[in-house]
Amino acid sequence: MGQILRVDLGRKKHHVEPLPHALVRNYLGGLGFAARMLFDEVGPKTDPLEPGNELIFATGPLTGTLWPTSGRFMVASKSPLTGVWGETYCGGFFGPMLKYAGYDALVIQGRSEKPVYLWIDDDSVEIRPAKELWGHGTAETTDMIREVHDDQGIEVLSIGRAGENLVRFACIVNDFMDAFGRTGLGAVMGSKHLKAIAARGTGGVRVSNEEEFIRLAAEGHERVFKEARLGGLKDYGTSPPLIDMKRGVGDLPTRNHQTLSFEEAKKFGCHAVENYFMKNRACFGCPIRCKKIHRVPSGRGELVAKAPEYESTCAFGPNCAVDDYGAILEANMLCDLHGMDTMSAGVVISWLMECYEKGIVTKEDCDGLDLRWGNSGAMVTLVKKIANREGIGNLLAEGVYRAAEKLGRGSMKYCMHAKRMEMDLNDGRGHRSLGLTQAVSPRGSCHMRSLVVIDQGYAFQKIAAQRYGEDKLPEICDPYGEKYKALAVKDCEDVYAIRDSLLVCWYSCGWPPVFWIEDFAAAAAAATGIREFGDVREMYRIAERICNLRRAFNVREGLGPKDDTLPDRILKEPIPDGPSKGQVVNLEVMLRDYYELRKWPNGNLTRKTLTEVGLVDVADELERLGRI
Amino acid sequence: MARIVFTGKDCTGCTICSLACAYAHDHEFNPAYGRIWVVKRQPATDYPVVCMQCAKPPCLNACRVGAITKREDGLVVVDAARCIGCGACVEACPFGAINLHPIKHVAIKCDLCGGREPQCVKFCPTKVLKLQAPTAIPRAKGVR
Repeated sequence: MGQILRVDLGRKKHHVEPLPHALVRNYLGGLGFAARMLFDEVGPKTDPLEPGNELIFATGPLTGTLWPTSGRFMVASKSPLTGVWGETYCGGFFGPMLKYAGYDALVIQGRSEKPVYLWIDDDSVEIRPAKELWGHGTAETTDMIREVHDDQGIEVLSIGRAGENLVRFACIVNDFMDAFGRTGLGAVMGSKHLKAIAARGTGGVRVSNEEEFIRLAAEGHERVFKEARLGGLKDYGTSPPLIDMKRGVGDLPTRNHQTLSFEEAKKFGCHAVENYFMKNRACFGCPIRCKKIHRVPSGRGELVAKAPEYESTCAFGPNCAVDDYGAILEANMLCDLHGMDTMSAGVVISWLMECYEKGIVTKEDCDGLDLRWGNSGAMVTLVKKIANREGIGNLLAEGVYRAAEKLGRGSMKYCMHAKRMEMDLNDGRGHRSLGLTQAVSPRGSCHMRSLVVIDQGYAFQKIAAQRYGEDKLPEICDPYGEKYKALAVKDCEDVYAIRDSLLVCWYSCGWPPVFWIEDFAAAAAAATGIREFGDVREMYRIAERICNLRRAFNVREGLGPKDDTLPDRILKEPIPDGPSKGQVVNLEVMLRDYYELRKWPNGNLTRKTLTEVGLVDVADELERLGRI
Repeated sequence: MARIVFTGKDCTGCTICSLACAYAHDHEFNPAYGRIWVVKRQPATDYPVVCMQCAKPPCLNACRVGAITKREDGLVVVDAARCIGCGACVEACPFGAINLHPIKHVAIKCDLCGGREPQCVKFCPTKVLKLQAPTAIPRAKGVR
């Protein structure tokens, strides 16, 4: 049976609890566990950076097994960036290690007076001083901890300068290049003076129905191996194929979403980056190997670093009008070392560049940096300034929404965010369902919670027909229409809630769609031995419970339908050029359909809906607080 | 004799080989139980380490209790019942290819899955592991 490790940094105490069966049965794992625990334990009055906030790391029933892409794990907390529900996911190797040490979830509470790191060595849990580690980058911290314990096999999660300096979009880094990127939970770790968490686990993970599980896993590996559409990911990583595709269909956010086409992006496409390729790497248990190491000649000698994934390339590239791949690689590497979200960093920099273009800020305001579009040197300098909260970096470190609020001067007009989180590098004007996805995502603008791929530049008509019926074609696959998009978004949100609870990677499940909910149901049943999980309808019930619970968390924080929105630029400014010319997002129509499918009248949670998904106690609490 | 051979350079460090190996031998998942394991170094080194089934095995010579033997077919095997878990073989192996099981405290090494299809070869996603006689490697290289 599973266990939860609770560590109170303030009292310097820890204890282990058995994982309640009801939690497993009703919430499956990962995201489900975290959603329930965070709702129960972190109330609306707690500030994200106060000791009362918690970091809940969770793994799922497939974590650490032979299922393809089983290396992922998640953390949830109240986000210092958005002030509401914060969840973020990471690949690498730490999650399985935590499970091998014997813990399905790790809860960090309180705040230490001095910098510390947590050392989990199977049953032995220690809070150790981290004076020597404080101030170091994430890579150095990892190396130093491995040296102290004299074991290269230890897995380390750590924050860098950005987390220490409470940059509101600081991330937590694992294995040098995998990050809990979004929602700024690195700052929560920084606020707790927790520099790192190191783990070594020698226990084994067993599955319930071994024969069935191994059969499914072997078949899964075979399917991943044979899936031709994964070829681009295997050969080039996530960025070059997506850049090529999105450049072709006109969905590449450029100059802070002023347009969606950036001709120079061909410099980051498959053909161009081939020259930089050095090595393939993979996360734990992953046959896809989308991590690439690139070697790029630069002015200051050769740069060897992890190739940025699509969002990072686009954030630092087209969105800042930068066409220098070396600079993008460097900015991405600095973000990893300082422990900072590449997407938020890129977007906040592009916002400042637009303010500079419009004359809202001057060169003097920006520490003498010439922030013309495409100035790659200034962009890299800004990344360092943000991590260290130096000069103008101190403003940007607050995240784009707070920065625009502080700066004023009409800069809010150029602030690309939803629920205060910087927009991911997708645009509903060129990919309609994305608009709805970003607007309703519980953690703020995010493409990962319900990204629909069937209405983008791939020929997925067959899959669309299989899932949603022939009669929904061709509209459901139209990138520029609102019809049926809510149906696909709601379905994906549910399936991905299961993905995030079992904890497997988005690749192979979302794009391309190798695995879907029936595969997850079968794997979950075989791994846990809970027969009900094998029923797809039960999976959907769990998914709806989780989605409603996340919404309830935000409603308790005071959010409502008015927050399910997008910046005016996306809703009102037609795309000026390229294949998506003239497009805007008609969000209202999609929202209306979505609320209807979710049974949230006008976007409001009701006792009836919550009761139906088994959340009576949540309904009670919201009623007590006058939120429903 | 044939043994597990690492050819090519595209090991990604995913540790699927170790996981499949751990399951085949212990019916549990943890790469630390793998009789094959992966060296990972920054920024770009990954390679698998597995028993070479040496003709003159240093581990065999180091074992004071006679738990390690070389079979007639060339396979070097550990008798778990005899092994006292001292780790002398671990020190003696020049490759780091034999280790102590973290829970069972006996020496573990590649046994080629006891005549079944070696699971690391089966699951390796980049197909860089092969069951091959080292003497066949030069010829395979010659035709590349």
